[in-house]
Amino acid sequence: MYKASRFSPLASVIRHTVITLPTPVNISTWWNFGSLLGVCLATQIFSGLVLSLHFTAHTDLSFYVVIQSFGDVYYNWWFRALHANGASFFFIGLYLHIARGMYYSSYVFKEVWSVGVVILLLVMASAFLGYVLPWGQMSFWGATVITSLFSALPIIGSDVVIWLWGGFSVDNATLTRFFGIHFLLPFTVAGLAGLHLFFLHDQGSSNPLGVSSDFNKVVFHHYYVLKDLVGVCFFVGPLLGLVYFYPWLLGDPENFIEGNPLVTPHHIQPEWYFLFAYAILRAVPNKLGGVVALAAAVLILFYMPFSPKTSIKGLSFYPWGKVLFFSLIGVFILLTWAGSKPVEEPYVVVSQVLSFLYFFYFLLIGPLTRIQDKLL
Amino acid sequence: MRPSFLLRKEFGNLAVIRGTVKYHLSPLEQRAFAGAISQGVPNIFWRFRQSFFYVVPPMLLSYLVYYTAEMEHDRLQRKQPGQFDHEK
Repeated sequence: MYKASRFSPLASVIRHTVITLPTPVNISTWWNFGSLLGVCLATQIFSGLVLSLHFTAHTDLSFYVVIQSFGDVYYNWWFRALHANGASFFFIGLYLHIARGMYYSSYVFKEVWSVGVVILLLVMASAFLGYVLPWGQMSFWGATVITSLFSALPIIGSDVVIWLWGGFSVDNATLTRFFGIHFLLPFTVAGLAGLHLFFLHDQGSSNPLGVSSDFNKVVFHHYYVLKDLVGVCFFVGPLLGLVYFYPWLLGDPENFIEGNPLVTPHHIQPEWYFLFAYAILRAVPNKLGGVVALAAAVLILFYMPFSPKTSIKGLSFYPWGKVLFFSLIGVFILLTWAGSKPVEEPYVVVSQVLSFLYFFYFLLIGPLTRIQDKLL
Repeated sequence: MRPSFLLRKEFGNLAVIRGTVKYHLSPLEQRAFAGAISQGVPNIFWRFRQSFFYVVPPMLLSYLVYYTAEMEHDRLQRKQPGQFDHEK
């Protein structure tokens, strides 16, 4: 392998990426989530491919094909549970990976960060599209609610929605195109993940101290190959625990009922990983305003590379910055909880206050850290 | 032939270090898990103590918000004293 890599461009790329890559000595467990997300993507692509062999994207068939394939197709129940829970773990990894980036100011790597936010958007789109495919009540009504949001666009809104639906409501045309796009997007994500790594390896990983580590690096193999493998074991363990013992813990019981355009569920809500954005959407009493807030809740991440630079990279040495960061974590968890609640008091006011606090973090963190820089 | 995209930071092209002498042992000359328990376990408690007052107060506050909101919602779901007095 060593000799071959001197001549083969492919082996050389692999060697420079995962074998002899100079890696900081002191990167912590928070740096495991990059490779974990790669494992999640590979798992979702593989399990999704297997599921697609037995899936039919038609409104009359998909619900029954999905249920019937559990019993009839060898281990299909396992692949479905893996794919559904794998999506949840994908988002656990994504949110922790982003939290690491925000805490340790990884966004100073502008290209890496921007590509990462695009990956997040595509994974969110892919998850939304995939949830529609089983054609349960929550699949149908979730698709109806979210695609209807585009009607808030001025002038072209209603035409855009009809174009998206492929008809005058969420129906068969919508399901077939959602299947096609859901199949395609992960491969785009894989390509972007390669680009994400390409930009990262231009300067190398950062580290928890926030200082340059160019004078103190080790080779990626064996140190971080093994550390990443340990991380995979700790990540896959709970995933398989859910798959085997509690496959529907994170699911919605409404999705065991076939999608019915004539019966609206009492509590339409997305999966847990979208609840924070759902709470922000519902907090704004205006339709277009809610849509803008929903988009802004994710797109605000694009602003991070342009936030005021601090003397020391990361929040490790900024006490008030740390308190504010963990307050943001609390706000995010509360928004997730609020998104699952009905539109009743006091949840409405609580959602509105929390939505304000969510955006307020991005306004406050820059000045707060700069004040400490000026004082010290 | 080195394509230009490979001419990035790699061993031999990382940083210019002057006036510094580094000594280290090869990994093969060391015990792999030296101090993993004797120093590693106390380190867990040290790291917990260092971050306690940054993490716990915001989480406690969040829990209080959640608890208060749930209590208030339960209260609003019940009949309030005097709510139907006008119907007597």
